[in-house]
Amino acid sequence: MTTRRGFLAGLVAAGALPTSGWADAGAPDYLAAALFPDGSYRLAGLRASGDMVFDLPLPGRGHAAAAHPSRPEAVAFARRPGRFALVIDCRTGQPIATLDAPEGRHFYGHGVFSRDGRMLFTTENDYDAGQGMIGLWDATRGYARIGEMFSGGVGPHDMVLMPDGETLAVANGGIETHPETGRAQLNLPFMAPNLTYMELDGGIEEQVTPPPGLHRNSIRHLALRGDGLLGFTMQWQGDVTTHPPLLGLHRRGSDPVFLAAPEVQQARLQGYAGSVAFSDDGSRIGFTAPRGGVLHLFDVASHAFATAHEIADVCGLGAGPSGFFFTAGTGLTGRLGRGRPAGVAQAGCQWDNHLVPVA
Amino acid sequence: MMRVFALCLMVLPGVTLAQTPVQRAVDVHILPGFQALAQQTGALKAASAVGCTDLEAPYHQTFDAWMGVSHLRFGPTEVEDRAFAMAFWPDTKGFTPKSLSALIADQDPVVRDPALFAEVSVAARGLFALEFLLYDDRFASGDTYRCGLIRAIAADMDRIADDILADWTLSYGSELTTPGGDSRYRTGDEAAQELFKALSTGLQFTSDTRLGRPLGTFDKPRPNRAEARRSARSLRNVLLSLASLRDLAALLSEGHPGTAAELDAAFDRSIALAERLEDPDFAGVTTPQGRFRVEALKNSIDEIRAITATRLGPQLGVAAGFNSLDGD
Repeated sequence: MTTRRGFLAGLVAAGALPTSGWADAGAPDYLAAALFPDGSYRLAGLRASGDMVFDLPLPGRGHAAAAHPSRPEAVAFARRPGRFALVIDCRTGQPIATLDAPEGRHFYGHGVFSRDGRMLFTTENDYDAGQGMIGLWDATRGYARIGEMFSGGVGPHDMVLMPDGETLAVANGGIETHPETGRAQLNLPFMAPNLTYMELDGGIEEQVTPPPGLHRNSIRHLALRGDGLLGFTMQWQGDVTTHPPLLGLHRRGSDPVFLAAPEVQQARLQGYAGSVAFSDDGSRIGFTAPRGGVLHLFDVASHAFATAHEIADVCGLGAGPSGFFFTAGTGLTGRLGRGRPAGVAQAGCQWDNHLVPVA
Repeated sequence: MMRVFALCLMVLPGVTLAQTPVQRAVDVHILPGFQALAQQTGALKAASAVGCTDLEAPYHQTFDAWMGVSHLRFGPTEVEDRAFAMAFWPDTKGFTPKSLSALIADQDPVVRDPALFAEVSVAARGLFALEFLLYDDRFASGDTYRCGLIRAIAADMDRIADDILADWTLSYGSELTTPGGDSRYRTGDEAAQELFKALSTGLQFTSDTRLGRPLGTFDKPRPNRAEARRSARSLRNVLLSLASLRDLAALLSEGHPGTAAELDAAFDRSIALAERLEDPDFAGVTTPQGRFRVEALKNSIDEIRAITATRLGPQLGVAAGFNSLDGD
């Protein structure tokens, strides 16, 4: 049994040290949005023990969040095509600032801070142009909007800061949407997802595109290992009767590698992968597939499929003590070590989409 | 076209009332729909071979037939992007006029070779490319190359319609009706859920895209984004899609009379609103009154969607997980 201290030591080794600032907010290990039984959408702070250390109201359905690297501040993003993001002081539960998407933009639901916490980056849609953008916000001046840059593609979704602290990795899903047509996908025949590495000023350093047969595999979510290995999950928009890989690994300067389970298990995923995470020791990578109600695990070194675990409506996933921590739409939170998944708590809420580590 | 058509005629007499909703959907909804499409594309191809004037009637008849099946977006229509090659819309970046202009400017000989033309961008093929060539001032003036292009598009559509029909007739129909074994559907529930998904996605497309795109926002209505507005059939497409989706909804709700009645009444309201609209290309969205009426139609379709999701879905065993339905 890994202790909390041991788990934290693991995080330190991975280069992600929680600071005292977050201790003031109950020292959550993760942030997650949820729908509560009273109908309210809230952002919760969770410990790997399953304890909920806070839950703070949101104005609408959330998606992911960004945790400030030192201060106990969280930015909770609306689910796309939302136009709000709320900066919350997690000690008091009070909103500190509101991010309103500028005219002609909406958020995609993900964002990330610069290493020093002075700048916030958000994935956005310039919907009249059908182009992805990264919004820049100054966290030292009340989260003022200070600029934007091209995301390198269409439909940017998840984004991470690379270990060098000077490069962003952006998952450009490739799917064009417009708020006037809801979540309708407007460009499937021509969609071209990519993984874009860019400097913090927007200079594109490297782009990775799936091979031709996989161009309808929308790259959505990312997981980063301390050594810069990037894991990405995809959502298949092509023929539903084929079952392409939904997980990839990429290291800068190399070709991407695509990982799939045997056909029968792969078919169960219904072409849809949710969150992705490396295990605490980085030796395994897992992703959740809420439509299939399964979590797939792979060995990172050999790329081999390890196993599938059935967990109803599972979606949020992060590194946790001795492996992974997960949340599900059923309210369950649990741990996954080397054996079978073990529930640690059953909340009354429905956990939404993502689990964001508090670093 | 005749080869496949003959095969279908042999399949149809098997219809009996003891069949499952999925079997009946294949027999009375899907196969007749794709048969009608193949028939109309055949007629369009034949007419274009005679000449490139007076093609409006076969164009409209083909489009009408497409509206009977355009919601059946799984299996045979998704092979080699056949559905997109039949009807590439919406076209947010204007690929169709750009691709057509490029073919015309180059006098690209690809129009003389059906195999090569099948490799041309889906934006320059199908009903919407044809609509530009027949109705848009930039393309509608006749010359020899334009006529060759029209013939190539018509022949390509006929080939695609035949291929879709052949796949449905020869294999996909039985995969859907006899799940398990080699079928990609493990159970009858999975097959019913595929049809349920076609129904709900079809309703969503008509509401969000066919109506949502021209509506735009109150400050910025977008009548130029209406589907097939050049041939003034935007409203007609909404009506025909509703008729076809109603047909499918009735088949899927057969065993659930309460839901069936609710759906029927909701479709009645939508279709009545659409019939009273008298705005064939949704140009009226720029006036408050016209906009209000299109919005009312959209809301009525969203009511059908709500019944479909909350009543029919659970009855067909469609899981309603918080995350599994999120799609993000």
